Amino acid sequence: MPKLLRSLLKLVGVLAIVAWSLVPIGLIALSSFKADRDIFSTSSTFSFMPTLANYEALWSRWGDFFFGLWNSFLVTVGATVLAVAVSLLAGFAYSRFASKGLQASAFFLIFIRLVPPIVITLPLFPVVNWLGLNDTHFVLIVLYATFFVSLGTVVMRTFIDQIPRELDEAAMMDGASQFQIIMRVILPMAAQGMLAVSVFVIVYAWNEFLFAFIFTTTKAKTAPLVISEMIGAVEGVEWGVLFAASTVQLVPVLAFVILMQKHLVAGLTAGAVKG
Amino acid sequence: MSARTPLSAIALVSPVQLMIGGIIFLPAIYVFWLSLNQSSFGQAASFVGFANYAKVLGDAYFWKALLNTVIVVAVVVHVELLLGLGMALFFASGVPFRPLLLAIVLAPYAVSEVSAVVMWRFLFEPDVGMMSRLLMSLGLPPIEWAVNPSHGLAMVSLLSIWLHLPFSFIILYAARLSIPGDLYEAAAIDGASPWTSFRRITLPLLMPALLIAALFRYIFAFRLFSEVWLMTGGGPARSTEVMAVYLYLEAFRYNAFGPAAATGWLLVLASLLLALFYLRGLYREMFGKHA
Repeated sequence: MPKLLRSLLKLVGVLAIVAWSLVPIGLIALSSFKADRDIFSTSSTFSFMPTLANYEALWSRWGDFFFGLWNSFLVTVGATVLAVAVSLLAGFAYSRFASKGLQASAFFLIFIRLVPPIVITLPLFPVVNWLGLNDTHFVLIVLYATFFVSLGTVVMRTFIDQIPRELDEAAMMDGASQFQIIMRVILPMAAQGMLAVSVFVIVYAWNEFLFAFIFTTTKAKTAPLVISEMIGAVEGVEWGVLFAASTVQLVPVLAFVILMQKHLVAGLTAGAVKG
Repeated sequence: MSARTPLSAIALVSPVQLMIGGIIFLPAIYVFWLSLNQSSFGQAASFVGFANYAKVLGDAYFWKALLNTVIVVAVVVHVELLLGLGMALFFASGVPFRPLLLAIVLAPYAVSEVSAVVMWRFLFEPDVGMMSRLLMSLGLPPIEWAVNPSHGLAMVSLLSIWLHLPFSFIILYAARLSIPGDLYEAAAIDGASPWTSFRRITLPLLMPALLIAALFRYIFAFRLFSEVWLMTGGGPARSTEVMAVYLYLEAFRYNAFGPAAATGWLLVLASLLLALFYLRGLYREMFGKHA
């Protein structure tokens, strides 16, 4: 009997976890296919006539949203490439060389993560304006990458530490330059770490709100910003269209996280626990 | 080894150091300078000493924002750690379809703050939202997050816990998995109850991971902005503002860069204070052998 009770409790636990994580997500995805009258109706939670009307409305009336998605995509790719590239180089240096100066700079790297992002918007805002970089992809790419290079470097260092030094020493004997060693020896073997760093940057850059809110207005505004404008229409929120937009914004990154969960976990444990 | 350390290593770390130096460190220092001056857009700064700090510290809205921040951080971090710990132990005790369940638990990590606000507003929409109706059918009062400040903050906390639980869970779960199983076997042979082995084995060995997770979450929850901004906008009547929202409004709505900068530095100092313990340990670990 206790055994039965235990499996019953376990089942309840599993159901609670699934409900907690998936109900909010599932509900908006499901509701995005509902007609307005079905969205808040109790009788049609699961039984309703699916319709694409919300997606059509999103397409015809919120063209801005798809433009925002494209901006999000460009910014995410840019920030990821930049963050992974510089983290790889620094991670290699921290893994292979040791000196007091380097240690101090590693400490600085971790220390700097404490500065809240909103604090630096104050001095950056006038500078970005003055440089004419306001509302450009460039600003967001650099900001997003910068806020992840600390973690990126720590994660890369952890992964590169596991690559035997004999490999790069052998390559050096063969006359390879430092850069060639990184590109030919380290890069292929550190792919796992690079993937782990990419997962963090991609999820962050795709979803980020604060910097996009402050530094972009029209040309470079990202998808989360457009969705926030849709919520902002306080009187009479068009829930259906909002659900369609949220679903479109969410699905690619959700699929990505599920696909990459192994790397996400590896990166989190390498970055947070060891760094 | 050290003979070839300098130049190439410096070249390799310089992009990272330049980025964080130029985009985080120097601006943060400049914010301190700003906080000692009176300035606004297109207006030359004039030195005012600590007047901005005095002004901020004399502002009732600042204290309200600080109090709200402290409450939300305390609730969010502790509830999140408890839930994360419970889930980690639950997973470690063996669950069916573990890889699938793990993916499900991680799902909120992929959700943007904006979409999360959409989801939770929908669930708690007054009168018609699914959760609102559930509360009503249980005879409980509805959550009036748009009108009642404490309800607004409760919604923000719920939202924040939901978004960040995957992080706390993963850290604790990884730490729990690294505890050797023989410890539990030995304890079982000695006749220890599950509660005893939790208290004597699991909890002490999980402590470092718990502290790390708590620290990261304290620091990150302290800078909370988007959830509050998107959920309540700081309203009604500025009653649900948190520190970052206060800073944003001062700087970008009231054009008061000085007080905003002072708030910013108070935020930085608070983060430093929270992290002091961790940084000291890290510093010792990195420099202890040399010093």
